Amino acid sequence: MAAVPATRTLRWALAAIAGGLVLAAPFVVTDKYLLRILTFVGINLIMVAGLSLLFGYAGQISLGHAAFYGLGAYTSGFLAKLGVAWPLALVAGVAAAALGGLLLALPSLRLKGHYLAMATLGFGEIMLFFFTETEVITGGSNGLRGIPPAGLGPLVADTPQTKYLLVWAVACVVLLLAANVVRRRPGRALRAIHGSEMAAQACGIDTVRMKVQVFVISAALGGLSGVLYAHYVGFISPSTFTLHYSLVLVTMVALGGMGSLAGAVAGTVLLTMLPYADAIIPGLSRATVELLQDWESDIHGMVLILVMLFMPGGLAGWGRSFLARISVRRARSAGGDA
Amino acid sequence: MEASELLQLVIAGLKNGSIYALLALGFTIVYAATNVINFAQGEFYMLGGMLAVFAFSGLNVPLVAAVALAVVTVAGIGALFERLAIRPRKDADPMALIIITVGGSLVFASVARHLFGSDALPLPEFTPGPSFVFAGAAIERQTIWIWVIVTATVIGLTLLYNRTRLGRAMRACMENREAARLMGIDTARVVMVSFALAAALGALAGVAVTPLTSTRFDIGAGIAVKGFAAAILGGLGSPLAAVAGGLLLGLIEQAVIPFSSVLKDVVALAVLLLVLFVRPQGLFRRTRKEKV
Amino acid sequence: MGMLSVQGITKRFGGLTAVDAVSFEVHEGTIHAIIGPNGAGKSTAFNLLTGFEKPDAGTVSFEGATITGMRPHRIVRLGLVRTFQNTVLFDDMTVLENVLVGMHVRTRAGFIGSALALPRVRTEERLAAEEAHRLLRLVDLGEVADARAGDLPHGRRRLLEIARALGSRPRLMLLDEPAAGLNNAETAQLAETLRRVRDSGVTIVVVEHDMGLVMDVSDEIVVLNEGRKIAEGPPLLIQKDPAVIEAYLGEEAVDA
Repeated sequence: MAAVPATRTLRWALAAIAGGLVLAAPFVVTDKYLLRILTFVGINLIMVAGLSLLFGYAGQISLGHAAFYGLGAYTSGFLAKLGVAWPLALVAGVAAAALGGLLLALPSLRLKGHYLAMATLGFGEIMLFFFTETEVITGGSNGLRGIPPAGLGPLVADTPQTKYLLVWAVACVVLLLAANVVRRRPGRALRAIHGSEMAAQACGIDTVRMKVQVFVISAALGGLSGVLYAHYVGFISPSTFTLHYSLVLVTMVALGGMGSLAGAVAGTVLLTMLPYADAIIPGLSRATVELLQDWESDIHGMVLILVMLFMPGGLAGWGRSFLARISVRRARSAGGDA
Repeated sequence: MEASELLQLVIAGLKNGSIYALLALGFTIVYAATNVINFAQGEFYMLGGMLAVFAFSGLNVPLVAAVALAVVTVAGIGALFERLAIRPRKDADPMALIIITVGGSLVFASVARHLFGSDALPLPEFTPGPSFVFAGAAIERQTIWIWVIVTATVIGLTLLYNRTRLGRAMRACMENREAARLMGIDTARVVMVSFALAAALGALAGVAVTPLTSTRFDIGAGIAVKGFAAAILGGLGSPLAAVAGGLLLGLIEQAVIPFSSVLKDVVALAVLLLVLFVRPQGLFRRTRKEKV
Repeated sequence: MGMLSVQGITKRFGGLTAVDAVSFEVHEGTIHAIIGPNGAGKSTAFNLLTGFEKPDAGTVSFEGATITGMRPHRIVRLGLVRTFQNTVLFDDMTVLENVLVGMHVRTRAGFIGSALALPRVRTEERLAAEEAHRLLRLVDLGEVADARAGDLPHGRRRLLEIARALGSRPRLMLLDEPAAGLNNAETAQLAETLRRVRDSGVTIVVVEHDMGLVMDVSDEIVVLNEGRKIAEGPPLLIQKDPAVIEAYLGEEAVDA
């Protein structure tokens, strides 16, 4: 029982340290390359927070989340280029993704397992087709160029530092809100659905409604992430919104561990930084980095297989057993006897 | 439209449809044995073409032998994949198995790129020569080969299922795996054989189509979606329905071409979603009993 | 009219009629048992009452409201809750969390309120946790509240499922073979728990195989055989009913 406050303190301490690091980074990090990578980590975190709710907590797989990322990015990018103010473009981007999520969720929610996986995969590919073919809006395979940076009136996020801060401010808020959700009633209902849909119904949970809600939320977060991405890089093209990206997102959640937001965060940070390991590990040879980049897909695939085979709890499972060991040791030393 | 143009579309539809049929058979066979949708099925198709090209152009093996070598090797890869990655978690929830096969597809595609590069690779036709002309429509010789292969596959599978012990065991597992196990059937062996067979059929499709389209490391996912659309049209139950689903999908695709050639690529996806949403049990089955 | 009124419910699977025009009434404040040999249609009848299957004919009404064909979660909201024959818990959640899920219909916090950690949500969470602890103590699981539900032994899983069902504060609780797989001591503890629950104001329907438990706790028994109701009455009468004896003897002859 003493373990609970101990881990709680530890958690708060970790959160505080992480928050401090996040906030300090743009002022300390002078390396633009690293700052850019860290910004991408923030963008991916928003995306993965949504996917974690849907896949990690509710157990509903999606192999098409890149579509929502794209819906957000193209909607917002297109509108901003027409001169629409960024906040409005942002809202429109998120709304477009949420609407796409709703349209997919309503017929899909009856589907389970591999049927849902294939339906979402098919949806992703169809959206990719539209991103490529509706040239008037998306610029086709040449992409959409010259998307203005995010901003509100005179406040414009046009330097690497301000872009970083904007992305991470949003990411922190999203993660905080998601963390609040998962440990309360909706989070328990999602995990219950994952555990047994039948038993969840027997507990009075409207599983259909819950699944549609979480699907729309996760699509909206995907859209939000896409909006930030579009205004961060200023240029988007269909090659970003592929099945491969959807699979990378699933890999991040799976590596982190099902039903763990903290795990998903760790998985995202690790896998996003992996191909740019030289930015944080000084002295890493160029050849090693190129090798990592060349083998990135193999690593993702192997991570998926190995995690499912040998560590179904993911990184979070490791973390939990590590904390459990600490608290056992504490209890022993406090009790005095071996 | 003239009759010859229509006939040309039908020929193209039946050609592509035959390829989808072979992939749909792969999905159906594995699903019947394990209740797993193998997301790596498209990679077997890609590997089939790749290995045939490698054996023919790289090792200078005669074409017939290269084709056989490719199909056998991919069958072995399928069996190995089942043994190493699926069997250890065969009782896990379907989600874990889906993710494992998704991981497998990433690895197969990526390893193929390391080994064979990222260029499109060609293979000569099995029997080079001018196309046959039939009622004003041209039929490439390779198309005839594709039809021969599909027909032979259907006959072969029918014989396997009806005339051999192994085939009867596979059918028993299809009906009811638990009952089959209690009757003393080695279900683990059936599962492994199913993966090998599905991989071989995928490879066969890949080899047969490569002379027409050439092959690349990243074509697996795209063809897998089409093969799955065909399988789901057929209802993921009987092998014959899978073949029917494949041919039907091929024809539907061609039916769109007179209206818009761009849309052809999205037809299979639309069919996939439509069937999943409206008739997940497929076109040919009345009801579907879901196990709880 | 009783609290639960079942009128002529019928369910066919293909050519087989699993439940054939069964009618009965359950009165408030009683423990009511549904018994019958294997394949008598007990579990199907159970699914029909709780919305997990739709009857082909007949009606079910609960406290005056027709619930036939209603989706399961709506039926729970009305105060009719069930357990499962093979005890379906949320294994990866803690014992306490399982009960909190059981309280889903009595709590309101949605995604937005929870995300913002609104004061009313926090209050609700605190009160819910207090009550969940109380329910766990009622079934003697108070000291394992933070254990993983999947780690509980079989007998305690049953009790947890009952506590979870009580979380919705039901008016009527349907238990599907609660004594299956329990040893004598555990069955005795179960009987004690059922009486305690009934006395707290919850009407109970059990589908049960264990005759000892049924005769011990029930006030009223319905006997099904081959989908039809063949007898109905208090335990003492049922024990002497020739039709019931014949149905059970037939089964024993097959078993032997």
